[in-house]
Amino acid sequence: MDTVTQSEKTTVGRATVVTVKREPSQTTSFMMTLIRGMTVTMRHFFSNLFTKTQTETLEYPEEKIPYPERHRGLHRLMKRDDGRVRCVACMCCPTACPANCITIVPAETDDPSVEKYPAVFEIDELRCIVCGLCVEACPCDAIRMDTKLHAAPVEFRGDAIETKTSLLERGGLSHAIQAGKGSDWRESEQ
Amino acid sequence: MNKQSAKHQTYAFQGKTPMDAASNENAKTITLTIDDESISVPQGSNVLEAAKRLSIDISSFCYHPGLSIAAVCRQCLVSIEGVPKLQPSCQAICQEGMVVRTQDEQSMDARRQMLEFTLVNHPIDCPICDRAGDCTLQKMYFEHDYQLSKIDVPKVRKPKAKDIGKHIMLDAERCILCTRCIRVCDEVANEHQLTMINRGDKQELTTTETLDNPYSLNTVDVCPVGALTEKEFRFSMRSWELMMTPSVCSGCSTGCNIEIHHRNTEVYRIKPRYHKDINKHWMCDEGRSIHKQWYENRLTGPMREGIPVSWEDAMTHAGHCIKTVLDTDCDSIGVVFSPHHTNEANYLLYKLTQSWGVKKLFMGGAVAVPDRADDILMDQDVTPNRQGVISIVDAGLEDTQTLISQITLGTIKTLIVLGSELDVAPMITDSSCQIIVFSEYETDMVSNASVAFPISAWMETDGSVTNRDNHIQRIYSAMPSAGQSLSAWETLVRLSNETGHGLKYNDLRSVDACMRRHHNFPQHNWDNVNPRVQLRFEHSRG
Repeated sequence: MDTVTQSEKTTVGRATVVTVKREPSQTTSFMMTLIRGMTVTMRHFFSNLFTKTQTETLEYPEEKIPYPERHRGLHRLMKRDDGRVRCVACMCCPTACPANCITIVPAETDDPSVEKYPAVFEIDELRCIVCGLCVEACPCDAIRMDTKLHAAPVEFRGDAIETKTSLLERGGLSHAIQAGKGSDWRESEQ
Repeated sequence: MNKQSAKHQTYAFQGKTPMDAASNENAKTITLTIDDESISVPQGSNVLEAAKRLSIDISSFCYHPGLSIAAVCRQCLVSIEGVPKLQPSCQAICQEGMVVRTQDEQSMDARRQMLEFTLVNHPIDCPICDRAGDCTLQKMYFEHDYQLSKIDVPKVRKPKAKDIGKHIMLDAERCILCTRCIRVCDEVANEHQLTMINRGDKQELTTTETLDNPYSLNTVDVCPVGALTEKEFRFSMRSWELMMTPSVCSGCSTGCNIEIHHRNTEVYRIKPRYHKDINKHWMCDEGRSIHKQWYENRLTGPMREGIPVSWEDAMTHAGHCIKTVLDTDCDSIGVVFSPHHTNEANYLLYKLTQSWGVKKLFMGGAVAVPDRADDILMDQDVTPNRQGVISIVDAGLEDTQTLISQITLGTIKTLIVLGSELDVAPMITDSSCQIIVFSEYETDMVSNASVAFPISAWMETDGSVTNRDNHIQRIYSAMPSAGQSLSAWETLVRLSNETGHGLKYNDLRSVDACMRRHHNFPQHNWDNVNPRVQLRFEHSRG
């Protein structure tokens, strides 16, 4: 408030120019603030220099932060025991996907226990917003995002589309049980 | 049972269905009370239909408003005062002073338990079932049951993915034994091709012969679950992704009301839409594959002598041709109307001929197919709008044989043709006649025409059509016109401006208003601009 009372007002045309007059210590003596700031810097410098265990810095890329358990990375498609894709092309994931990045073309199989499988399964990783809704929507544990991988940088947009082959390459076996009775519940009941 | 020997042909079309009873305005009305609300219904209607009028939805599987009542699913049980046991509401005929309760504890409990019975042997494979999202059983489960199965004995195994007909696959495990499909074959197609075998939980739907009647796909429509699926549509698209646009079938002059199920610019399937007087709930199999014709061989840009040109070029050239002929010899112009196009397009063409002073008018269109005619829905006339053209061009409309003889005689030198379907097209193409054609498809006539304008196909057209019984019905466009093509009415308005006989229309609505004034057509509801809906549970017809 003091500075305002000490200010001068002059009128230049339609504009009013306010010249603020400050105390000399406020404009010249920044040494105290500087010393205070440097103290913090030096304290961290010396503590890091002598006690290395407390250092916050990681030697990336030799060292990496372990990702949390539920980290959502690149997608993968899970497989059945015989190596076929678990996906039954129910279209729940493209329905749930808010970014419309999943393309499935269903086709019929000869195996009556499977009935339907995805002839084409593509995910556009550039469109994907990594929300994980596809994983939640999947009724057969066919799609997962637990690879802890990041989408690789690409030169062309088309290269960012993950195909069924590349998704299955990352995929592993899944023995998740369906309807509480396992994937082979039909056969075990006979 | 063959068609000839059938005595009571087409039960479903003789006005004996529950829906007809419930909407019979001539019958005496009786008053009853449902859930403390009083309602008056025509005598003979059942409790289920009466409750529907009060917006009370009683769950049911085997009841279909267009079929006879079987009362086998027991899913519509309600309590009626004075009757000791619960009654199936589909079979209970309304009586004067009847007091019905549909939401009381006893009947709700009974319906929930009936649903549990139904689900005992149902495989519950909704993720791979094609009917998911459109399934009555799924809907009922969310409304009534919503609990885990208490059954721990093995489910009964039945054949899956069984090919039972030209268009249909059967999954007997999913079947809930409602017998709707059997009744459709018996009462609509009048052929007993489906039946139940065995009893109890071993009961199973099977065919007596191949399911190949011309109305077989109605069984898929009435199936409340995914037991019967259409081969062409199977696995191609989830029903909840589809949009529905109401339209009228372009297959024949019956004019069955249809729903076009489409997504983006592709039509996936065609389903019948209820119309009291025309097709009831049904349509033929042939009409369901009509959308394949709509896509084949489309003309997407204007052509001059078979060479693609711009709209401006084509218009100027066509206008110049017509003007020259009009100035020299007006009588050498012939105009062919199309019963495959809307009343609006034909009306504009007729107005144009009047302002030009052209007298030689002909009826185009495909030739009748007498083999396909039956007493049910299919007509031998495969043009959807012949009546419309006849009522618009009331006098002087001649057939194509006269057209050919006039061309051979040389009295017609310029021909303006609306539509691509013309039985005498090869003869016209071979003649030295100058042709200006408005066509959806790339035909021989288009490549030989002086000018060919691309116009919208059926699923891209707005307008009205008149069926064989003079029902004037509105069709809606499901998608934008393909390529550079324009609606027929717009092309005709443009051409009229080019010839200096300007038709002053800015939209289809004004064309329609003008047409109604001149031809005493009933008014359509033009305020309902876009009746398109996305198919979700609330619109599912299970």
